[in-house]
Amino acid sequence: MTMSTTLRARALPRARKGIFLTRTLAPYLFVLPFVAVFVAFSVYPLLFTLRLSFTNWRGIGPAEWVGLGNYSYLLTNAGFWQGLANSGALWLLIVPAQMVLAVIVAVLLNDMKLRLRGFYRVAFIVPFVTPLVAIAQIWIVLFDQNYGAINSVLGLIGIPPIGWLTTSAWAKPTLALLFLWKTTGFIVIILLSGLQAIDDTLYEAADLDGASRSRQLWSITVPLLRRTLLFSVVLQTLAVFQMFAEPFVVTQGGPYGSTTTAGLYLYDNITRADLGTGAANSFLLVILVLALSLGFVRLLRPKD
Amino acid sequence: MTTLATSPAARLPRGPRRRRARILRNAFLLLLTGLFLAPVGWALLSAFKTPVDIIRDPLVFDPTGFTLENFLRVLRDVPIASGFLTTAIVLVLKGGMTLFFAPLAGFAFAKYEFRGKSVIFGAVLVTLMLPTIVLIIPLLLEMKELGWVDTYQALVLPGSVDAFAIFWMRQVISAVPDELLDAARVDGCSEFGIFWRVVLPVIRPGVAGLGVLTIMNIYNDFVWPVVIANSDRMATLQVVLSTLAQNITGNRIGADYATVTGELLAASSLALVPLLVLFIALQKQFIAGILAGSVKG
Repeated sequence: MTMSTTLRARALPRARKGIFLTRTLAPYLFVLPFVAVFVAFSVYPLLFTLRLSFTNWRGIGPAEWVGLGNYSYLLTNAGFWQGLANSGALWLLIVPAQMVLAVIVAVLLNDMKLRLRGFYRVAFIVPFVTPLVAIAQIWIVLFDQNYGAINSVLGLIGIPPIGWLTTSAWAKPTLALLFLWKTTGFIVIILLSGLQAIDDTLYEAADLDGASRSRQLWSITVPLLRRTLLFSVVLQTLAVFQMFAEPFVVTQGGPYGSTTTAGLYLYDNITRADLGTGAANSFLLVILVLALSLGFVRLLRPKD
Repeated sequence: MTTLATSPAARLPRGPRRRRARILRNAFLLLLTGLFLAPVGWALLSAFKTPVDIIRDPLVFDPTGFTLENFLRVLRDVPIASGFLTTAIVLVLKGGMTLFFAPLAGFAFAKYEFRGKSVIFGAVLVTLMLPTIVLIIPLLLEMKELGWVDTYQALVLPGSVDAFAIFWMRQVISAVPDELLDAARVDGCSEFGIFWRVVLPVIRPGVAGLGVLTIMNIYNDFVWPVVIANSDRMATLQVVLSTLAQNITGNRIGADYATVTGELLAASSLALVPLLVLFIALQKQFIAGILAGSVKG
């Protein structure tokens, strides 16, 4: 040890002289690829979107400056608000149920003595790993009104066929179920990592005091898991308000616009070549997403 | 579980009560995992049934009636092989770039002091928070200007030096002791040599986690490819799959429901299997990657 430090002390000044230039320049070269990609594909497009959002450009011909016209158009447009309302409704259908389910599963899986623990963990993640488009298609087939397996199962117990994807009352819950199925395993993994940080002696003490398991869950686990839970809620809120591929593949926003999420409404502006409005819509969505994140971050901040 | 305390079971002696709770717990978990695995299992099995059987008896699986009909038809009618090829090429190029440049930038942020460092790192954080969908319109227009619509550049370059990957690698590399780097310098190692021969070997587990997460993200990526690569020649696997779904919901005239359903299940199964195999083989790295990935957003 002393050997190597003296050696290094002697060698260092000489070595540093030789590589002085590279050592100063090296970090710039190392971050250059990121900076290049960032400027070309994030900064430039963002500034372009901002400018675009004040014009009525349709992709060809001259652009006309319309000031805040696109923004006021969107904010007074029923379709825009309907998109947000649909996303909000999906949030209500997904997030509370998912958190309850994920906490129960995570608590059960946190038991080291549980048999098949490894199997359960893998089984819950399988949906998260599968490609969304593939599973969205499987959903279409499973939930088909006439030939789907779901209605066949329900038929066994005498329930008449339900138009899961063809009626506006059922389309949202069916989509919510897809999202719930696909992402719950992911939340379970996050919660499990939070649970592992809880000190086991707390439970041992509670056992000694004779507290029941359900009491322990409510009085120890849930409060100590608060931050992890809130974090999961933030992640899922952002995901739900940006939801695009699920309704795009499964329902194309229908029936009767009942599954046109905020993200899908934004995309419709592109397909109509209404680029100015689309750009303004993008910024409104960014503002919403950032506001939601900041709001949750405030909640996440420890009180003390 | 939670009702045990007040149920009649509560009056049982401690041993049997424990056993009963354990059985209940396992029954609940088995039922739930069954529900989680059922859609994938159902699709994988049904893909081997004849189209008529799929829609006539969705719940009956008769191994003697299994056929490769759907798979053969999908390979013939749908450019799924070319979708696989495009996805594979994008995976190699984009994944390679992420796995090389992200640790490199992470190294600079973790182990060097340089002017502008905090500004550039701020840019990384901003990129992390931006929803993909916001950049779609201007990026599409940029690609049109560059003449890059339906090209590999367009599929590969945006997002190729992923901000989250940099953020993660910076954290991983911070844990590498400075003494190790200094020792390499003394031995006359160049700055890049330090990264290549000292840092990368040490952080291999972290890079493995990043690797599986990157593969999963690129393989499953859909929104950008569907906007930028719509032609048959350049469509990625996921884009090819999504066009099949549009067939079933009525855009393809003349194809009957049963045939399209069979094709759709076969195609979805083909797309599912590679990732499932990879996941089962590399569970640990996957879960590490997913956990680290959850910091995003």
